[in-house]
Amino acid sequence: MVKVKSGFVVALISGLSIPQDAAAMHIAEGLLPFNWAALWFAVALPFFAWGLYLLNGRSREDLSFKPLVGLMAAVVFIISCMPIPVPFAGTCSHPCGTGISGILVGPAISVVITAAALVIQALFLVHGGLSTLGADIVSMGVMGSFTGFLTFRALRSVKVNMAAAAFMAGLFADWATYFMTSVELAAGIRGEAAFLPLFWKVLIAFIPTQLPLGILEGAMTAGMVMLLYKKRPDLLIKMRVIKAREVAVIGAVLIALTIFLSGVGPAEAAKWTGVDEAVIEKIAKEQGRETKDTLINMEQGDLPLFIFLVAGAMGGFAAGYYWRVLIVEKGPPRCRGRRETGPETSGKIKGS
Amino acid sequence: MYLLEYYASDHRLSRIDARLKLLVALIVLVMVLSYRGVGFQLLVASLSLTLIRSMKVPWRLFLLRFSEPLLIVLVVLLVKVFFSGHDPLFSFHVLGFQLTAYREGLEGGIVIGSRIMAAISLMAVLVYATPFPELMAALSWLKVPWGFIEILLYAYRYIFVLFEEAMVIYQAQKNRLGYANFRNRFSSFGVLAGSLILKAFEQSQTLSTAMVQRGYGGNMPLFQSRPLRFSEIFLSCLVVTAMGILWRI
Repeated sequence: MVKVKSGFVVALISGLSIPQDAAAMHIAEGLLPFNWAALWFAVALPFFAWGLYLLNGRSREDLSFKPLVGLMAAVVFIISCMPIPVPFAGTCSHPCGTGISGILVGPAISVVITAAALVIQALFLVHGGLSTLGADIVSMGVMGSFTGFLTFRALRSVKVNMAAAAFMAGLFADWATYFMTSVELAAGIRGEAAFLPLFWKVLIAFIPTQLPLGILEGAMTAGMVMLLYKKRPDLLIKMRVIKAREVAVIGAVLIALTIFLSGVGPAEAAKWTGVDEAVIEKIAKEQGRETKDTLINMEQGDLPLFIFLVAGAMGGFAAGYYWRVLIVEKGPPRCRGRRETGPETSGKIKGS
Repeated sequence: MYLLEYYASDHRLSRIDARLKLLVALIVLVMVLSYRGVGFQLLVASLSLTLIRSMKVPWRLFLLRFSEPLLIVLVVLLVKVFFSGHDPLFSFHVLGFQLTAYREGLEGGIVIGSRIMAAISLMAVLVYATPFPELMAALSWLKVPWGFIEILLYAYRYIFVLFEEAMVIYQAQKNRLGYANFRNRFSSFGVLAGSLILKAFEQSQTLSTAMVQRGYGGNMPLFQSRPLRFSEIFLSCLVVTAMGILWRI
C-alpha cells in the first residue's frame, strides 16, 4: 500500500513538473554516472555495429538505400519531436517513431537510424545527450525497434490483419521503450538505495502519459503502414515488409471475383426477374390475358445499329454546323484578356 | 519544433579546430560524469555558462536550451529527496499522504542535478562554437564509422526539408478540421507521419539519382581537415591538465 501511495505521489509530481511535450523518453545529458553510461554504450554497441554492417551491405546493392536511411532518420527525428495530445493525462507527449522504422527497414538498421536522430536531438534540441546516448539507443533503438519488428512479424506470421499487427507493434514498441527507460533511470539515479522500489516508482510516474500514448502510437503506426500499403505497396515490397506474393494474391482474388461476378451475372439475373414479369404478368395470366409480342422488336435484325448510325450522323452534322458557337466563342476567358508584360507579371492574365 | 542552433562565429573558441574542441569536451565530460562531489561540476557549469554568455547567445535560445534540463533537475531532486535515504530532514502532508524528505536523498539529488547542469552547459559550449559539418569532420577523425556520419549528414540536411513538408500538410489538415476532435487528430497524425515517409522515399530516390549523376558510388567523399596548429594543441593540453588537477582535488 505504501508503494502504491508513494508511486501515486511520484506520478503526481512528475505529471506536474515534467514538461510533457519535451522528450520524456530521452535520458538527459549527465543524468547517468560514468559507469552506467559506459555500460549502456557497451550494450548498444553490438546492435549498432550489426546495423551498420547491414546498412553497408544493402547500400552496396542499392545506391539509394543510404540516402533513404538518412531521410528515415530525419522522419524519426520529426515524429519524435511532434507533440500529440494524450487523453486522460490532459497533456501532450510525443511518439517514439522507432516501431515504424523497425518495421520498415528492419530492427538493426533502425538502431542506426535512432542513433542518428538521437545525436542531432542531443546537439540541437537538448533531448538526451552524448553521455546518455548509449542508454537512449538501448531504450529507443534496441527495445523499441526490436519489439516493434518482432511483434509485427509474429502477428503477420499467424495471419493477423496488417493494420492490427502494425497497431500492436507500435503499442508494444512504445511501452517497451518506457519500460527500458525506467530500468535505466532507476539504475542510474538510485545511488545506495534499492533498485526495485525506485524502478516501480519511476515506472508508475510514466504511466499517466505513456499508457495512453502507447495506444496512440499504435494507432499512428497502423495508420502509417496502411497508408503505405494503399498508396505505395511497391515500397513495402522493396523494404521486405510484405512479399510480392501477398499483393499478387490480393490482386488475383480481386480479378477472380470480378470475373466470377461478371460471368455469373446473366445466369443469376435470369433467376431474379423484374416486377413486370414477377407481379404484373402473373396477375395478367391469372385474369386470362396472355402476353403478346412487341410491335417493334428491337432485338431482331440490325435495327438498333441502324438507329445508332442515323443518330450519329445527325449529331455529327449538328456539331459541325454549330462548331464556332460551341467551341470558339464559348471558349475560356483568357481569349478576351490582355496579357501583361514584364518579368514579374509574365504569364498572368489581367481581368481573369 | 525548433532547432536551438546558433554559431558564435566571432568568438575566439570558434577559431580553434573542431577536433580538439570535441576531444577536450569529451574528456571533461568523462571527468564530470565520474566525479562524486559537487565542486568540480559546479566549476565546469559556471565556466561553461560564462563562455556561453561571452558568445552572445540570444537570451531566448539560452533559456529554451536550459529550461528543460532545469525541470529535469527539479524532478530528479524531488524524487531523490522524498524517496531515497533514511535520515529524515522534515516531513509534511499533501493530499492525505505523508511525505518525508531525507538528507541522503537531498545530497544525492544535488550531485545529480549539478552533474546534469555541468554536462548540458559543456555540450552547449561545444555546439555554439562549432558548426555541424565541422563537428561531423571531427567525429570522422575520432574514427566514428563513416557510414554513420553519412546518415547524420543526410538526416541533418533533410530535417528542414521534411519539416517544411510536414508543416504544409499539417496546415492543410488543420484548415480541413483534421484536428477538430481526438479521433480526427490521431487519424490526421497517422496520415501526416505516413506522408512524411512517402516523401522521404521519393526524396531519397531523387537524391540518389542526382548524386549518381555526379559520380556517387556509394560513399560520400571524406572531409579534408587542415593541419593542427601548435598553439591549439598546447592550449587544449593546458585545459585538460588543469581540469584533471581540479578533478583530482
